[in-house]
Amino acid sequence: MARELRKAAKDSGEDVAAHHGLVKMIPQWERGNRAPRERYQLLYLKIFKDIATDMVPGMASGVDLAMRLAEVRSRAASLPGPGQIRALEAAALAKPRETMTPAQIRALTADAITHLHEVAGKLAELSALLGGDEAGEGKP
Amino acid sequence: MSARDDKIRQVVAELDAHLAEVEASVAVLKALLASDEAPEEEDPG
Repeated sequence: MARELRKAAKDSGEDVAAHHGLVKMIPQWERGNRAPRERYQLLYLKIFKDIATDMVPGMASGVDLAMRLAEVRSRAASLPGPGQIRALEAAALAKPRETMTPAQIRALTADAITHLHEVAGKLAELSALLGGDEAGEGKP
Repeated sequence: MSARDDKIRQVVAELDAHLAEVEASVAVLKALLASDEAPEEEDPG
């Protein structure tokens, strides 16, 4: 499994823990002592997608969708919240910029927060589509 | 593929677009701040 994870990571240009580190972590994940981080979950999905596709060709579409879902949720969870974006705006406005005017910085921030609200709306829509047991996952 | 799967794919695509907008805006703000921290290059001449 460690070799498979490292191969999947290499194929997608990602870094993962060294082989001996994975050999140590994988049994802990399999026993449920620890949860793998999201990037490892995505690598697992990639590996099992390839296996599933080989076994049942029609399964690829569903696995693809599950992977897309996992990916967008992971990205949504790593976004800063509105308060953090406002803090970035304040820091950016704290001194004059050659590349952007204050109005442009404010517009950019407002735009980011608008889209952040849209992200929250779409996540809620997804949770509703996927069923109540999925509600509450992800951010913002 | 079911209509529900189609709807999920559509929502995921819309979500992806909004995520990209937020990520891009945040990247610009962070780049502005990073330029504060970058050491100024010395003039070699």
